[in-house]
Amino acid sequence: MNNNKTYWKGIEELEQSPSFLAKRENEFPEEIAIDEFLGDNKLKETSTARRDFLKFMGFSLAAATLAACESPVVNSIPYIQKPDDVDPGVANWYASTYYDGYDYASILVKTREGRPIFIKGNKKFGINKGAGTARITASVLPLYDTARLSGPTIDGNYSDWATVDAQITKTLENIAKTGGKTVLLTNTIISPSTLSVIDTFKNKVYPEGSEANFEHVTYDALSYSAIRQANKDSFDLAVIPDYDFSKAKVIVSISADFLTNWLLHTEYIGQYLQNRKPENEWMSRHFQYESILSVTGANADVRVAIKPSEEVLVAAAIYQHISGNKIANVPQHLLELTADAAKELKNAGNASLVVAGSNNVVLQTIVNAINDKLGNYTTTINLNNPVSLFQGNDKEVAELMDEIRAGKIKALIMYGVNPVYTLPNGKEFAELLSKIELTVSFNGYADETASKCKYVCPDHHYLEAWNDFQVKKNHYALAQPAIRPLYETRAAQESLMVWCGEAQRGDKDNDTYYNIIKANWALYGFPQQTAYTTVEEYWNYMVHNGSGSTELTPPSAVPFMADLSVLGQKITSSDGPESWEVVLYTNAAMGIGNQANNPWLQELPDPITKVTWDNYITMSPADMKELGFNTHIGQEEPASVASIKVGETEMKLPVYPQPGQARKTVGIALGYGRGENGENIGKSAFQYGQYGEPLMQDGKPVSVGKNAFIFTSFVNGYISYSNVVSSINDANENYLLACTQTHHTIMGRNSVVRETTFSFYKTAPKEAYNEPHELHYYGEHKPVEEIDLWKSHPVEEVGHRWGMSVDLNTCIGCGNCLVACQAENNVPVVGKDEIRRSRDMHWLRIDRYYSSDMNKEKAKQEHIGAISMYAQMEIPSENPEVVFMPMMCQHCNHAPCETVCPVAATTHSNEGLNMMAYNRCIGTRYCANNCPYKVRRFNWFNYTAYKKFTAFNPSQDDMMRMVLNPDVTVRTRGVMEKCTMCVQRIQAGKLEAKKAGKKVKDGDIVTACADSCPTDAITFGDWNDENSQIRKNSESKRAYQALEEVGVKPNIWYLLKVRNVEKEMVQKHHEPHTEEKHNEHA
Amino acid sequence: MIKEAAIREPLILGNKTYHDITEDVCRPIESKAPRAWYVLITITGIISLWGIGCILYLLGTGIGVWGLNKTVNWAWDITNFVWWVGIGHAGTLISAVLLLFRQRWRMAINRSAEAMTIFAVIMAATFPGIHMGRIWVSYWVMPIPNQFGSLWVNFNSPLLWDVFAISTYFSVSLVFWYIGLIPDFATIRDRMTKPLQKKIYSILSFGWTGNAKAWNRFEIVSLVLAGLATPLVFSVHSIVSTDFATSVIPGWHTTIFPPYFVSGAVFSGFAMVLTLLLVMRKVMHLENYVTVKHVEYMNIVIIVTGSIVGVAYLTELFVSWYSGVEYESYAFINRFSGPYAWAYWSMMTCNVISPQLFWIKKLRTNLTFTFIMSIVVNIGMWFERFVIIVTSLHRDYVPSSWTMFYPTFVDIGIFIGTIGIFFTLFLLFARFFPVLALNEVKSILKISGEAYKKSDNHHH
Repeated sequence: MNNNKTYWKGIEELEQSPSFLAKRENEFPEEIAIDEFLGDNKLKETSTARRDFLKFMGFSLAAATLAACESPVVNSIPYIQKPDDVDPGVANWYASTYYDGYDYASILVKTREGRPIFIKGNKKFGINKGAGTARITASVLPLYDTARLSGPTIDGNYSDWATVDAQITKTLENIAKTGGKTVLLTNTIISPSTLSVIDTFKNKVYPEGSEANFEHVTYDALSYSAIRQANKDSFDLAVIPDYDFSKAKVIVSISADFLTNWLLHTEYIGQYLQNRKPENEWMSRHFQYESILSVTGANADVRVAIKPSEEVLVAAAIYQHISGNKIANVPQHLLELTADAAKELKNAGNASLVVAGSNNVVLQTIVNAINDKLGNYTTTINLNNPVSLFQGNDKEVAELMDEIRAGKIKALIMYGVNPVYTLPNGKEFAELLSKIELTVSFNGYADETASKCKYVCPDHHYLEAWNDFQVKKNHYALAQPAIRPLYETRAAQESLMVWCGEAQRGDKDNDTYYNIIKANWALYGFPQQTAYTTVEEYWNYMVHNGSGSTELTPPSAVPFMADLSVLGQKITSSDGPESWEVVLYTNAAMGIGNQANNPWLQELPDPITKVTWDNYITMSPADMKELGFNTHIGQEEPASVASIKVGETEMKLPVYPQPGQARKTVGIALGYGRGENGENIGKSAFQYGQYGEPLMQDGKPVSVGKNAFIFTSFVNGYISYSNVVSSINDANENYLLACTQTHHTIMGRNSVVRETTFSFYKTAPKEAYNEPHELHYYGEHKPVEEIDLWKSHPVEEVGHRWGMSVDLNTCIGCGNCLVACQAENNVPVVGKDEIRRSRDMHWLRIDRYYSSDMNKEKAKQEHIGAISMYAQMEIPSENPEVVFMPMMCQHCNHAPCETVCPVAATTHSNEGLNMMAYNRCIGTRYCANNCPYKVRRFNWFNYTAYKKFTAFNPSQDDMMRMVLNPDVTVRTRGVMEKCTMCVQRIQAGKLEAKKAGKKVKDGDIVTACADSCPTDAITFGDWNDENSQIRKNSESKRAYQALEEVGVKPNIWYLLKVRNVEKEMVQKHHEPHTEEKHNEHA
Repeated sequence: MIKEAAIREPLILGNKTYHDITEDVCRPIESKAPRAWYVLITITGIISLWGIGCILYLLGTGIGVWGLNKTVNWAWDITNFVWWVGIGHAGTLISAVLLLFRQRWRMAINRSAEAMTIFAVIMAATFPGIHMGRIWVSYWVMPIPNQFGSLWVNFNSPLLWDVFAISTYFSVSLVFWYIGLIPDFATIRDRMTKPLQKKIYSILSFGWTGNAKAWNRFEIVSLVLAGLATPLVFSVHSIVSTDFATSVIPGWHTTIFPPYFVSGAVFSGFAMVLTLLLVMRKVMHLENYVTVKHVEYMNIVIIVTGSIVGVAYLTELFVSWYSGVEYESYAFINRFSGPYAWAYWSMMTCNVISPQLFWIKKLRTNLTFTFIMSIVVNIGMWFERFVIIVTSLHRDYVPSSWTMFYPTFVDIGIFIGTIGIFFTLFLLFARFFPVLALNEVKSILKISGEAYKKSDNHHH
């Protein structure tokens, strides 16, 4: 059918009006004056003369040359189809869970444009209530490590999954057919779904006689298997109970570093801190008996230095005091040292808690007996809600070694373990691996163990994977991926399913394991709750929240049935006071060394020693003097190297003078010395020279630190982390250590750090312990803040005034804030050589001060002159009191840095912030000199390009650069930088409020440090908001401003430290206030 | 019996005539340079090149090649800066202040002292430049119109005052020096036979004709410039001292600094003049012009200024104790008993104790001893600046940040390099410029009377 319709262009065409007909033929409706244009004679006059031509040419040439000088164009590719949930410039947060066999926490992952860039504890959900550790916060960085395996390998060569799967499946079949034994060696798996996958694998590959042919051995690098055994002996329950520090008025810890390392420390830290606030009616009293100075010990009210061999005697002594029963021959001095603690425990009754750190069944059983006597099993310890962490069984590991030696093991699959590195006889284990027909590792790196395996089938980084966890009987959690896998990795669970034929090999987006988890939660989790009616809703909320709890079984008393008299006989007295003992501990940065390739952690100063990029021998300074070791470590003052021998094993390490270390003991941190055979586990695990060149020894790169796991040993079937030292000799070598702090005492500077005792705080007026500074002013006394040479910045009661308070009492010094700040603000990593030169770039540092035996009052009483007094003040006490003081830009309202900048690059905002315009800075560094707090940091080099930093500064690596926060500029060489109070977060928060048409609410804006602080010691907010927490804190009786008398008017308040110690203990340490009187005349 | 009024001792010895003076001063310029000159300039040239190499390395790599750290952000850089500025003080003091006070003995030394000032200030100005993190934007310290909108310099900052003070001082000193050189260049021009050199000196002499009017204007301009330069002598180092005095750092924050720095500057400046002159008079045979008398006068200035500096040191100590300020008193206890006590006591020995030996006439007229002392004083003054800068910074308020400072090879290289450049410039000056102010020296020659008397005596 033809279309005969006519379309006309307008009403004129329809009507065929004459004017239309006239114009129809003309393309252009109006006349164009071509002739006129061409006839314009003026145009002819505008000829270009030769000179003009040369001028134009010159200009064009110059312009083209100049244009060529411009910086290269960086193309950015916009989304063609924007994903729904990704808005450029807007962060997405995902709830997930961190668990690496050592640390556990519910976390929130911040992603920008699909890239995870920041991790913090989940404050709303999860047992850790927002607490994290530096290791967890830093764990986002290894995601982008280029040393990770980008696919499966066979004998160290990259292969593809199909080949690997085919070979492994076939070998497994053969082994199963011939009746050979397969062992799955893992760290503690707390994932119910992973366990179900393992079960499926076992039943599928070994349907019959699986007990004989398949064994799942659990091995923890840091083992607590003695606690489980002790509970089995004591209560017939082989569990780790649920501890509750929040109910304990008296806490006695025997070498348990429960604030940063021991068991479920991310939960304990919050419980412990609940009762460390002096504003409360009571404060817990914390006794710590330990050999090294741990973070927990540094925060204790009373700390007693003991040798590792005395731990069990201390427990026996406490038991003897409490029960009156003597179970062992306890030396008199230990009975005296434990008398106070025992008395307090007895008084507190079942509101107390005794814990012990060592992997020693006798010790743990006596501790159980003490807790039982005190009645703590109905209050602070819950045997009915066991913790599933640390199920490692040391005996099985030892037996596994024997079986491999005997050639009984045909296949060994390893997941989450690195026994070549962590076993005391790791070297032998490495050799034994070659005896096994099939060795498979799921590790993400070709590390010490994986590189010895035939097959490496790399698992995802935890931020790329689904997983679930049951950390306690009543608590479940989920981990969800925050990014698509970066490399061709595959979940270990999926690998197992593929090998047993239960799943098809997929690509990296395969959802096999996801479906298993979801099915498990629908099957087991969903029926246990009533809040959600459909499975889908339940699942979505669980993913959103990241965790959930079921009903808690309250603690109930279980009869104690261990025979203490038998135990008592097992206590062998120590080898006498003359023998040296070594304590192997985990520090806040490295833990068991899972993240040795993480430059943020390597550069994190140890909370106690402030050393970075190394491990070392800690020793009492008095012992060091006797042995002739150098006791002062500085930039050019190297540590002496000692050669230490345990059994037949020898190791050389630098010696660090550690006040508080028990005499005749040495401490060495575990987790260092990764990649000692040059395994490619990431560049930051190795050492570099002054110009960034890798340090080599015998053709292999030199690891950071030394592996101290070789000093561990199996004692009665348990891995022991202390040992008797056969010899300590001066190796006649020197070694430069990189410390961020080389001066260790406060020098009686009461206006920097203030502290008092709990009873004094409760009874005395504020002026007695927190005296305000007054100045002579025309014959009268006036508080410092009222005297002003300058016109004040109008920050009070006008708009916002951002401020911060730092509670010295709740700050435990863990360093989590420091890593969070580094991640949030793109703070460069500068490496060991620069740290040694005191050029750390951290915007936030934690000053750690030891008390000294000398103080001003003592000097006055004993008529000691000022010179001698100050010289003696530099020496810390043998067992010092410790205070941690986070120090960042104080955002002074009368900032001395601002006046001295010749180009006004640092100025004050009308919201009380001291700001830095990097682009304006010319780098005279006068501001840094004039800062009383020394918090300004200068870009000494081009950290993002200079070769010295290539190996470890994330901004120099194309992959690692993805971790940088796009909201924060990466600073160039030659400019000053410093804490901005996370001004990017303030701006974002203000914009949010503006969009919502509301005022900024207290708590809406949080700085990275405050956000990450596990103890809420740092509070940020608007001081002009009268109801804000920061305003309240600034008006607290404990509030003071550091160096108030300098008159710089900071926007940061410190809350002084309160120790829960008795008066007579106080007088020994308490800083007198008398020098204040003298200062008034300043 | 002829009774004659007591006559001052002549300032120029050796029965010189006007022509002798011209000959003595022009000889080095017109004749071939001695071998020693070539040897010396080769040595200083190599040192200069090493220094320039170090500077280029610093500029190419970053300030981190120095030994500075988060606590000690200034060390050798600013020490050297202040040291050189101080040395640059003597020239203007000699030419301007002594001119106003009509101290005619200055005429034999002012030319080289001024040259030394110029070179020292150039060396000094190097350091604030290269110590900046981003020297390529150093022009931002100038209050010049810019495309950044209302962005302006910070007039509160003593570093900005420094910029003005140093640049003014340099310009005035340079002009003053050059004006004085013009008649002497004309003399050389007139004597010069080689055409190229004649052309160069003719350009340098600005067409000086030597008529009465020109001389009249010359005298007036000299006086006016002297008047302008005199306050600068005091202002420059006062302002340099405010770099420290206006800060809040214990050991820096003191009101005594301006006079203390000025006297210290004169002290070190005179010492450097002595170092140079004692060598020059020997090498260039100027013993009759730069006499023991001159040396003695300068040594007296050294005693006076050295004593003022000593009093300042003691005053600082007293005030730190008397103030009762914890940080202040610790800063000074740390100075003399802390880890940098060796620097403090070096300073004390060199600056306070050793100049007192000049009270003994025999020593202050002994040229060898004076030469040694001039070097000792300059070492002492370098330590003074080091002590003020580094020992104040390295332990200030918060003990956790206390550090030590260790210089790197670049720190040392640049310092030695500036000494090399300084001496290279001075050697060039001595070779191509009239080292004595010809026209001025001639005005103090008592030729007629002395000659007459001598000839008279001869006849008796």
